[in-house]
Amino acid sequence: MTEALIGFALVLALVLMRMPIVFAMGLVGTLGFAHMRGGSIFDERGLNAALSMVGRQITDTAQDYGLSVIPLFILMGLFVNKGGLARELYAVSHVFLGHLRGGLAMATVAACGGFSAICGSSLATAATMSKVAMPEMRRYGYADRLSTASIAAGGTLGILIPPSVILVIYGLLTETSIGKLFIAGIIPGALGILFYLFAVRWVVFRDPSAGPAAPRTPWPERLRALRSIWAVALLFVLVIGGLYGLFDVAPLNLTFSPTEAAGMGAMGAFLIALARGGLTLRGTFGVLKETAMTATSLFAVLIGAQIFSNFVNLAGLPEALLGIVTAYDVSPFTVMLMILAIYLALGCVFESLSMLLLTVPIFFPLVVSLGYDPVWFGIVVVVVTEISLITPPVGLNVFVLRGVVGDVSTGTIFRGVTPFWIADILRLALIVTLPWLVLVLPGQMGP
Amino acid sequence: METLIALARGASRLPVALACLALFALMAMTFADVILRSAFNAPIQAATELTRVLMAVMVFSCLPVISARGGHIAVDLFDGIFDRLHLNRLREASINIVCGVMLVWPTERLWMLTGRARGYGDVTEYLSIPVHLVTGFITVSVALTAAVMVAIGLVHLFAPHLLDEDLAR
Amino acid sequence: ADHTLVISSWAPPTHNINAKMWPKFIEMIEEATDGRVTAEVKLGLAEAPAQMDLVMDGAADVSIIFHGYQPGRFVTTKMIELPGYVGTSEAAAVAYWRAYEAHLKQANEHRGVKVIALHSHGGAQLQSAAPVTSLDQMAGMKVRIPGGVATDLGAALGMIGIQVPAPKVYETLASKAADGVVIPIESRAGFKLTEVAQNMYMLPGGLYRGSFAYIMSEEAFAALPADIQAALEEKVFGEPLSRAIGAIWEQGDAEGIALTEATPGNAIHHASPEDAARFDEIAGTIRAKVIEEVAATGVDAQAAYDMIRAEMAAW
Ligand code: NA
Ligand code: NA
Repeated sequence: MTEALIGFALVLALVLMRMPIVFAMGLVGTLGFAHMRGGSIFDERGLNAALSMVGRQITDTAQDYGLSVIPLFILMGLFVNKGGLARELYAVSHVFLGHLRGGLAMATVAACGGFSAICGSSLATAATMSKVAMPEMRRYGYADRLSTASIAAGGTLGILIPPSVILVIYGLLTETSIGKLFIAGIIPGALGILFYLFAVRWVVFRDPSAGPAAPRTPWPERLRALRSIWAVALLFVLVIGGLYGLFDVAPLNLTFSPTEAAGMGAMGAFLIALARGGLTLRGTFGVLKETAMTATSLFAVLIGAQIFSNFVNLAGLPEALLGIVTAYDVSPFTVMLMILAIYLALGCVFESLSMLLLTVPIFFPLVVSLGYDPVWFGIVVVVVTEISLITPPVGLNVFVLRGVVGDVSTGTIFRGVTPFWIADILRLALIVTLPWLVLVLPGQMGP
Repeated sequence: METLIALARGASRLPVALACLALFALMAMTFADVILRSAFNAPIQAATELTRVLMAVMVFSCLPVISARGGHIAVDLFDGIFDRLHLNRLREASINIVCGVMLVWPTERLWMLTGRARGYGDVTEYLSIPVHLVTGFITVSVALTAAVMVAIGLVHLFAPHLLDEDLAR
Repeated sequence: ADHTLVISSWAPPTHNINAKMWPKFIEMIEEATDGRVTAEVKLGLAEAPAQMDLVMDGAADVSIIFHGYQPGRFVTTKMIELPGYVGTSEAAAVAYWRAYEAHLKQANEHRGVKVIALHSHGGAQLQSAAPVTSLDQMAGMKVRIPGGVATDLGAALGMIGIQVPAPKVYETLASKAADGVVIPIESRAGFKLTEVAQNMYMLPGGLYRGSFAYIMSEEAFAALPADIQAALEEKVFGEPLSRAIGAIWEQGDAEGIALTEATPGNAIHHASPEDAARFDEIAGTIRAKVIEEVAATGVDAQAAYDMIRAEMAAW
């Protein structure tokens, strides 16, 4: 156990020196593995063993069939964007909610939720929606702190509402069904939208000038706007319906594995973008390139994480943690609260993916042996990861907003986002005390 | 030196194009497999193994390029402090060189695994694609990554002005 | 214990491989060495096809490999996969080990590691949602079937093969993307096949058996004291271990059958003698092809086949 903790500290130190995560985890994991197998980090036999493990992780992770969902879902999100769907999603939310006080911020949250249903990344959701929603809210005189905060917070839904890159990675690290994790994210994601809507109401209740009402849109226009989002709706229904078995009817009998759902979604998004004329050859190439690059950097950190996780496994850290819990006779619920507290603390300073990669190998075995459901824990981890995206001092979604919008200070956004992460904490409390909310949908799906 | 960097940039287009093709093929094949299976009872038998190979091609085509551009996921919490202490250049140089050098050992091992796969005659299930071709491709990519990172580190140390406009991000 | 071996394993934690076989292995080595050697199981160190590399280089001391995951590397192991061996998995494991010692060993396919047991899962059977009661009904069915011998046999029977990884079997069947699956009976509980493939068509000896080996690092074995080495060789490695693991596979099949019989709406259909004979004839062409392929590696494949068949019949 000592070895694992020293290793963890070393990774932390290297990562804070800005060594890329794959190299920090890979280096410490390799040396640690060598130490566990050979008795010292300089032992030749130990190093030989460790390098074999490393070599196979490098070749096998990139060839993991289940991981092909990562590039395919990223691809789908980017193609959808080329098709101009983000703008239409916002337009629809706008015509339905805009006339309420704070309505444009509420529309932003709703559109973020919709965009999350086709985009697997929170940063991409926030970046995309900020380009669309920010100018509108400015036009109607919304306070910067409310408009930026609603985008930053709404954007976090990207990794909870399926598809989600973070859930895929959690699924890989823990061998949990990705299909179930996706389906499990739907209710907590919907709750997230609801809670954020309340957060917006709370802000305009305290300060009505923060979000003035826009003119009401007549019904015929509303319906016209609604028609324009058929493509998004179609894609979401295709992907999630296929995963959940909605089209499991003769003679079609279409059901997808996550990989197939991702492939269908990507192809669908490609065809939609093509049909709308939003896609040139150059544009297609750009989307493919961006996807390949993003996916590769994700695969790289995954390789590092697996190497490190193998060292932790060999060092017996999970067993040791369980031993401590048993020895002190702590209740599982207390342990869970402690883990959540650790996550929230780490989340203040850590980037979401690194936090997941560092902690899941350590906490997951403990949590499962205490009797918690792996799918439920995955959703909990994603919700705390979402919170990390908007808490100071390091909140990546806030930084994205700062980058896109430009003339708003980070401090303003962080102040504005406070009601939203309080809403997140309430949502977290709800799904921790009522696991049913997470587990009811995947429970319908078989083993 | 400038021409050398321009040359390197030009050369990086080839693997990127290869990655794009692999990704597009992956998407098209997955789509075709589902349609063929559901509508025509004729699934693509080799879809799973092709998926694996295409992913390897995509990832390991991009790896050297990403490494050259400093595109790996990292934590930039203390960037401000390093900046204030004027240590950024030194840090970038040392991290790139250290990471590049430490890739030498995995590269050696990958080379050995390539030879092993070849010696045992490993092939894929349906198409009998020799496994050592894929492992060999991965080996070359990791070796290139190592070389590129060391080179970038050295440029950071001795000719940082070259990176300002060209290779940075 | 003086020596703790590290076992690397890859199946799900609840699968018999991890739930029963490794505990049995540990029990046997502890007993044989009076507790001087023990082992601990580590899950998920690498994917299944990587296990042999791991053991060869000492990243783990012992592991289990499924030969079908490394096509090209293992040819002679197809001998136990052939359809037509009637008998228990325990008998199959013992016969497999003996045939390995007598013939298959010469091909030296496991070079670099020490083979300490050989075994196979029970004969895989067609399991489907709609009842199948005759061989003719198999033609045209969309069936999840693994590669190798099974694929050839499926094609000979007119089935349309679908390739999906084992953990996806349930959803593939639940969605009717496949009509059935050819899989060992012991999988009925683990994959909840009683819900989605209520019917099982039983052919004597099944359509194929999947070949497994337990392998050990040569270096780790050499590092043990001579008396321990001798005790392990005599009381555990080889036939005793193969037999014990084979018995666990058999028990898994028995549980699968009991579960099927106890589940309402589930049924087992035994092939008629005529169908069984016709199946053996079709299987014969596949066998001839595989025996020829194995003989090309220089081992006496026909003798190995005859030996396995005779040993199992004599059980
Ligand atoms: Na999403
Ligand atoms: Na944070």
